[in-house]
Amino acid sequence: MLRALSRSPAPVVRLLSPRTAVWVETVRGRKSRTDPKAKSKLGRIKTPPPVDPVEMVVLKERYTEYNLILRALRLEFKEQMLRKKYEEEVGSVAEERTKREEEEHRSLMALNDAENLRMHKIREQRMQKEAEAEELKKREADILRQQELENYIKEKERQILQLQEEAKDFITLDNLDQRIEEALDNPKNYNFAIDKEGRVVKRTAFQR
Amino acid sequence: MPMKGRFPIRRTLEYLQKGEVVFKKSVNIMTVNYNTHGDLSEGARKFVFFNIPQIQYKNPWVQIMMFKNMTPSPFLRFYLGKSFVLLFFNLFSILWYLLVLLLCLDDGEQVLVDVEGKDHKEIMNHVKTILGKSDKVLEAEALAKMELSNPANFGPKRYFLRECISEVEGQVPHPGFVPLPKEMTGKYRAKLAAASDE
Repeated sequence: MLRALSRSPAPVVRLLSPRTAVWVETVRGRKSRTDPKAKSKLGRIKTPPPVDPVEMVVLKERYTEYNLILRALRLEFKEQMLRKKYEEEVGSVAEERTKREEEEHRSLMALNDAENLRMHKIREQRMQKEAEAEELKKREADILRQQELENYIKEKERQILQLQEEAKDFITLDNLDQRIEEALDNPKNYNFAIDKEGRVVKRTAFQR
Repeated sequence: MPMKGRFPIRRTLEYLQKGEVVFKKSVNIMTVNYNTHGDLSEGARKFVFFNIPQIQYKNPWVQIMMFKNMTPSPFLRFYLGKSFVLLFFNLFSILWYLLVLLLCLDDGEQVLVDVEGKDHKEIMNHVKTILGKSDKVLEAEALAKMELSNPANFGPKRYFLRECISEVEGQVPHPGFVPLPKEMTGKYRAKLAAASDE
């Protein structure tokens, strides 16, 4: 305070005033620069509030101590918070967290692998069943085809035999005359009616 | 305005916000291979149709790609990694790009999930278990986010709920809108004080 006294030419009263107070002569407020002073305020002399020097000294000491303590507390808490944040992000807590997460990840991957294996087994079984079913179907189709072929051959053979039977009654050049004679000797009567059952119902007389 | 698409509920915010899967930070890319026909792919198809929008809404920075009819059985594949990697698939030079990709993704892990014959709900639950953030973690994150904005603070409407206590219901209203009763004004009180002094 003595050094301040020797250097600055300001009045002692000002130096003794509380450090945090603001020394302003005029405050702009509502009016602009060019507005005149109010008529009621023309003779006003503004005086600062009176200061008791003894009280001021005591107060100053107390305030410095108080501010010191408060500032120290504030910075202490700030440091604690910063340290906690650092620990969480970069320090030991983070390392533990990453290790834990890695372990969890590994266990989850193992779970996933087990699930995949299970699905694989189910799929294998299904594929096997499908392959067997297809095999069965193929075999059945083969058998069916074989049977069809046999049926076809049998049918053809039957037709050939029937033809052979009919061939005995064919009219050839040899027995042509004989057959003509026979036909002329035995006239056939086609004038008959049949009922729904196919039985002959009535015959009309043969007319040439 | 008519609704668009077959199940327009998929486009509502309410439906999208109900998505359960929020991926861990390590998941970068998700790929779904499925078939358009076939009974076994049914679950995968439903998953793609109903659940993919929800997943993408909750994870805007995860790239999700769908491939149809490339393999006989459907599956999901996740590409993990710490770096921010994106796939670029070109229809004409798939193999070349795949090669480039594989070279870049050597450090990342790939997770394969078989989904043949599964139901879309089952697939969703499975994915949530293996690669999604757990409920506890999500709650913790939500709590941390809430701590940033204290509803008791006053300030600009953009960041806080109220600017002045006069906005709160039941408090003294702003004198600019509703004049104060005479007994509360400063000049009346000063007058009373001056009168009582005399």
